[in-house]
Amino acid sequence: MESAKRVKEAPGYQVQSSHAPKKSKFGIKNIKAYGEKFILLFIAAIQIYPLLWLIMFSLKSNQEIFGKNPLALPQKLLWGNYERALLDGNIGRYFINSVIVTAAAVVITSVLAAMASYGISRMKWKLSGTMLMIFLLGMMIPMHSTLLPLFIFLKKAQLYNTYVALVLPYIGFSLPMAIFVLVGFFGTLPRELEESACLDGANIYQIFASIMLPLIKPAVATISIFTYLSCWNELMFATTFVSRQEYKTLTVGIMGMVGQYATRWGELGAGLVIATIPTVIIYISMSKQVQKSFTTGALKG
Amino acid sequence: MKKIWSKLLACAVSGIVALSSAGCGTSQVSSNESNKPAAEAASGEQKEAASGEKVTLNVWHLWTTDSDANAKSFMKVFEQYKAEHPNVEVVIDASENEAYKTKLKTAMAANEGPDVFFSWGAGFAQPFVDAGQVLPIEEYLTDDQKANLIESQRTNLTYDGKLYGLPFVSWVGILYCNQEVFEQNGVKVPDTYEEFLAAVETFSSKGIVPLTVGAKDGWPLMFFQNILALRQAGADGSNAALDKAASFNQPEFVQSAQMLTDLVKAKAFDDAALALTYDEAKMAFLSGEVPMTYMGSWLAGEIQDENLSTVKGKVVAKNFPSIAGTKGNKDEFLGGAIDCFMVNNNTKHKKEAAEFAAYMAEHMARESFLLGAGLPAWKVDTTGETIDPLVQQMVELANNSTGFVLAWDTKLSGEAAEKHKTLVQEVFAGTKTPQQFVDEMDAANK
Amino acid sequence: MEKVLSDKKAIFLFVFPAFVVFAMVVIIPIFFSAYYSTLDWNGIGKSTFIGIQNYVNLFVNNKDGFAMAIKNSFLVAFFSVFVQVPLALILALVISKGIKGEGFFRTVYFIPVIISTTVIGQLWMKIYQPKHGMLNKLLEIAGLDSLQRNWLATPQTAMASVLFVIIWQYIGYHMLLLYSGIKAIPGDIYEAAEVDGATNFQKAARITIPLIAPMIKVCVTFALIGSLKTFDLIYVLTKGGPIHATEVPTTLMFSNIFLQNKYGYGSAMSIFIILECLLFTVFINKVFKAESITY
Repeated sequence: MESAKRVKEAPGYQVQSSHAPKKSKFGIKNIKAYGEKFILLFIAAIQIYPLLWLIMFSLKSNQEIFGKNPLALPQKLLWGNYERALLDGNIGRYFINSVIVTAAAVVITSVLAAMASYGISRMKWKLSGTMLMIFLLGMMIPMHSTLLPLFIFLKKAQLYNTYVALVLPYIGFSLPMAIFVLVGFFGTLPRELEESACLDGANIYQIFASIMLPLIKPAVATISIFTYLSCWNELMFATTFVSRQEYKTLTVGIMGMVGQYATRWGELGAGLVIATIPTVIIYISMSKQVQKSFTTGALKG
Repeated sequence: MKKIWSKLLACAVSGIVALSSAGCGTSQVSSNESNKPAAEAASGEQKEAASGEKVTLNVWHLWTTDSDANAKSFMKVFEQYKAEHPNVEVVIDASENEAYKTKLKTAMAANEGPDVFFSWGAGFAQPFVDAGQVLPIEEYLTDDQKANLIESQRTNLTYDGKLYGLPFVSWVGILYCNQEVFEQNGVKVPDTYEEFLAAVETFSSKGIVPLTVGAKDGWPLMFFQNILALRQAGADGSNAALDKAASFNQPEFVQSAQMLTDLVKAKAFDDAALALTYDEAKMAFLSGEVPMTYMGSWLAGEIQDENLSTVKGKVVAKNFPSIAGTKGNKDEFLGGAIDCFMVNNNTKHKKEAAEFAAYMAEHMARESFLLGAGLPAWKVDTTGETIDPLVQQMVELANNSTGFVLAWDTKLSGEAAEKHKTLVQEVFAGTKTPQQFVDEMDAANK
Repeated sequence: MEKVLSDKKAIFLFVFPAFVVFAMVVIIPIFFSAYYSTLDWNGIGKSTFIGIQNYVNLFVNNKDGFAMAIKNSFLVAFFSVFVQVPLALILALVISKGIKGEGFFRTVYFIPVIISTTVIGQLWMKIYQPKHGMLNKLLEIAGLDSLQRNWLATPQTAMASVLFVIIWQYIGYHMLLLYSGIKAIPGDIYEAAEVDGATNFQKAARITIPLIAPMIKVCVTFALIGSLKTFDLIYVLTKGGPIHATEVPTTLMFSNIFLQNKYGYGSAMSIFIILECLLFTVFINKVFKAESITY
């Protein structure tokens, strides 16, 4: 806690003002600080714009979306777009499916990756380096080229048209990055942690569960966000490996608003807003979690 | 450690065996594999089918939303079918157009296609038919159905003399003109190519973009070269080259590309056309901003829908004008029946699946037509129905038709089709000459 | 201790579950891709074994602009590593030093990453729209009409326009990674420097950056691999056009496999992409090995 406080206060304005004996210097510093603040806010405006634009987009008609002033505010707020998007009887179902698939993928990926990373980075065996390389290879694989073999595999394994048909590939493709991040993170933890626990008579599983797991929370939060993002928005596997309404995910449902020759883009926008809201909420709460893990001093070692 | 690796190896090997038993190059027909997740459900179903009870059909199509006419028509006819066929349970899976192609191709490659599926004829389904995955459907049609399916609409779904798909509507390429804008600017709606060029010139001099085209998507732009080629070489000439019976290296095809460049020079299109998608370009017409577009008959439904367009009732449907001194004439159309239903040759319920496809196709012909999606591929009775005036105009044009050529990208096979669309874009952008265009077309369509 | 950490059974239990899943859905399919890459196969009908002919066609008799696609992906990689990551680092350094609204900035900067690529693509298509788009309007207001372009429609500007969006969208991603790295540094490390009256810049250059080198390596690796595999945004924005100007290996691969029915040839491309990524990853490891520091 102490160290975190220090990080927070150290280079802040209070420190600066106490370090600035001369008035003129104080003035320049102040201008610099305001300038910095201005730039940060300006960038923030740029970054938040897509979200605002999406919301405007979702309230427009096709004419306004593709018309003369595509970036302007909607003339009339077409809440009907939301009504239509929500009235598609299945959107609730799709939403729940997305939650199930994504949650399963995030949780299982985190657990498997934590275990595997621990085994690879902290335990001593000859092939650990090779194993890491094999996992990292996964990051380099373009998903499209695995579509057909995976489809055949899922069919043969009778997993086609189940949640597993999506969860399994999502885990497989999320593991490499998760392991990459976690192996790096484990590498920063001091050896003494295990040594002292070992002297206290803890076995390897206890060391992992009660000493290591709490320490890697921030890294797990980070990989959860990335796993969540890649699964929540995934379209190709979600379309191909499932063909029953009961298992379709939200992304597939939203892309379903695109017609063969005609698309109501406003409705599509409304669907995308509905799909983006949970992401924003989850991200905000997760990133608080990341922050919290850092400030509880868990890492002081 | 050795033990672990030998176990891993064993696991990997068994996985590979499982996968390779699916085979990838073989076209063998495995009828014991069902599309359902549980084997027991499948075996139970077989028994039921034998005793004339409940049959389950898996059907894939691409109408995920009711925003276009075929989708509305499918949903309506499907309700009707369900009511009349209580013994058939149909499991529908709809995927969006782009995703649908990927999904269908993957499933077919794995020899795991659905019982009945939406498909496109000509080049798209050729590999499926070659691999023996599509059921020749003629023998499953009733005599009435055989008589009702219009002979000329079978062309693109017939491979080696056998009918493999059932169309519902055919489309025709139409020059849509916004009469209001024409009148405001004192321009005559064109009947000949000279008048067409004059209209282009007048609009362009007044700062109005004459024609809208979503060239970024490739195919809308391709329509222009295709119709110019049709006017130049005629339907027979175009089809001969597309069927590899003749070379593209003929003055007519060189001229088709040349005329496209001439149109670009005459400022017939938006400067930024290559950055516009079909949707964006279409909107310029539907909002009344641009007075002309050359597009399929499916656009009529949207033009006449006041929620989507501001030009309802102002648009007139015209043939693409004839060009004096050429082999083609104004009554030859780009278009044809290409959207269809196909039945999987591996389905356990060939009869029911074929009956379903036929029922849907025949009834959708009428409904889709009434909704403005295109012209019926079946003889339909529309007495007592009010037909939209714009659709009526298209019917009259098409009734005089003397020949059809499919849009080249659907006529050609995958690789040649992609190449063709790029080549037209290159001609449009001026990076390929008309001569290069025909030479490379010949190379692509071997 | 030694004994506990080299317990074979424990190692097996830790690593095996992840490996099984990974092997099933990633490794084995890749072996199949490698096998497909030796076939002349349209994806559906009969296939013929043709050995390395697909690779010969890819590198020796190439006609479909594969070299251009590789060049484009290298461009993306270069800008990701030398522009995107440094910008993300600056942002991470600035907001992690404890300014007011730290949480706000951290959250907002990440927003473009969490918004679906479809939306980002649509937005930028409208910004680049030549007639009514924001970019050309701004140039007009600034009196720079001569700089107005058909951004996505002209082969000369299309790649740069796409590149800009790719770089922009993922700055927040790297910023978050680097930010977590910075936040993991114990505060007392800075104490001595503060006593010496070091400026923020000095602290960043001498303490923070060396300490988060492992995280920078993570970012550089992700940026590089991500660039070589980049697909979604290009597909939405330009589909590889106009006239193949923005084609990258993945878009060509997709087109070959799913549009042109050249499954074998497309698979050869995917194998190339994997090898290319591998090569670069090894290279990055070499670069960073020289200067690894722990704390």
